[in-house]
Amino acid sequence: MNSKTLACNGIVKTYGKKEVLHNIDLSIEPSKIYGLIGRNGAGKTTLLSIMTAQNPASHGTVTYDGMPVWENQTALDHICFSRELNPLIGWGSNNLKAKDYLKTAAIYYPNWDQTLADRLIKDFELDVKKRVCKMSKGMMSMVTIIIALASKADITILDEPVAGLDVVTRDLFYKELLDDYAQTGRTFVISTHIIEEAADLFEETIILKDGSLLLKENTQELLERAFHISGKAEDVDAVCAGLLTHHTENIGRSKGVTVLLEPGQTLPGNADVSIQPVSLQNLFVALCGRES
Amino acid sequence: MNEYLTQEKSIYIQISEMIENDILRDILMEEEKVPSTNDLARLYSINPATAAKGINLLVDSGILYKKRGIGMFVMTGAKELIRKRRKEAFYETYIKSLLTEATSLGISKEELIALIRREDA
Repeated sequence: MNSKTLACNGIVKTYGKKEVLHNIDLSIEPSKIYGLIGRNGAGKTTLLSIMTAQNPASHGTVTYDGMPVWENQTALDHICFSRELNPLIGWGSNNLKAKDYLKTAAIYYPNWDQTLADRLIKDFELDVKKRVCKMSKGMMSMVTIIIALASKADITILDEPVAGLDVVTRDLFYKELLDDYAQTGRTFVISTHIIEEAADLFEETIILKDGSLLLKENTQELLERAFHISGKAEDVDAVCAGLLTHHTENIGRSKGVTVLLEPGQTLPGNADVSIQPVSLQNLFVALCGRES
Repeated sequence: MNEYLTQEKSIYIQISEMIENDILRDILMEEEKVPSTNDLARLYSINPATAAKGINLLVDSGILYKKRGIGMFVMTGAKELIRKRRKEAFYETYIKSLLTEATSLGISKEELIALIRREDA
């Protein structure tokens, strides 16, 4: 089991005049499954590609076990970033047959597990004679999942691994992920838009909003301090006095808000309002969605 | 153990309650081994740390105990203990909400008792 941390220190990324990542400090600790969530364009893929030295940062450094990852093969041998495949690119490596694509991947990862790769190809019923660029979105996702799991890298990063996969295959992926995690205890960072079903997999959740780190917290602890409060508008306002509210919705005399309690804050137990737990997906919408 | 998870409660609390339910229904017997955190994690597609939190809750309350290097086991007397605790909580968890609903529907206590006594209920 590895014991080394992947750390971002003050990462800034600019494309021309546009700053897309703002001063990100983030540390990925060993032996945890992280979920990275953010809206389209929040900077998830840019951040992941910088963390894995596939894209240079404009400012700041990324280190693994204290050493910079940039152009450092010793560090990069421990890291796998299985990128989302682009169906619009029909040349280069995308023109390879899936089995050749996987063979190429095998060369990059010193701990590559061919037995696992072969079994996953069978379980996913993936036609490896097909060219990657001719595959459906779901099949491309299978290829990226196989690479990530078979890499056996200490830190394995998957960018939207379940995009385009049907629900049965997604479930298969989650179970394979947990099996692998149980055996190896390696670190996973997974970005996804299918928050509802993956939320319980994540020991910690990282939320990126408009290029900034909004929060990084133990998922269960985060949800334990999140509540949806609804009822007569005055009553809801009275309960939420002094609390930071998100995503207010009004209909007639009724009002609903989401609150994230800070340490020391509590909700009164006797008020005539409904207080409900909030799922990660609803919390994400409350924190990152538009205020109506 | 094969119940669905809901969003109404923390996952680890649901895990501990499901194990308790299985003990009450003799699906899990006293002195028998309970599924490992990895088994539970896989079954529900949840993080093993969350499953472990649910198991530990039951260890702390004397329902399960750990045999080092082997796993978690159901304590002798666990079934009786769960019954006793749930009976104590019965008023808070069930009766209170029953009375609230009855009051808002205008059902009197006498009517409520008659309903409970109803043969086909």
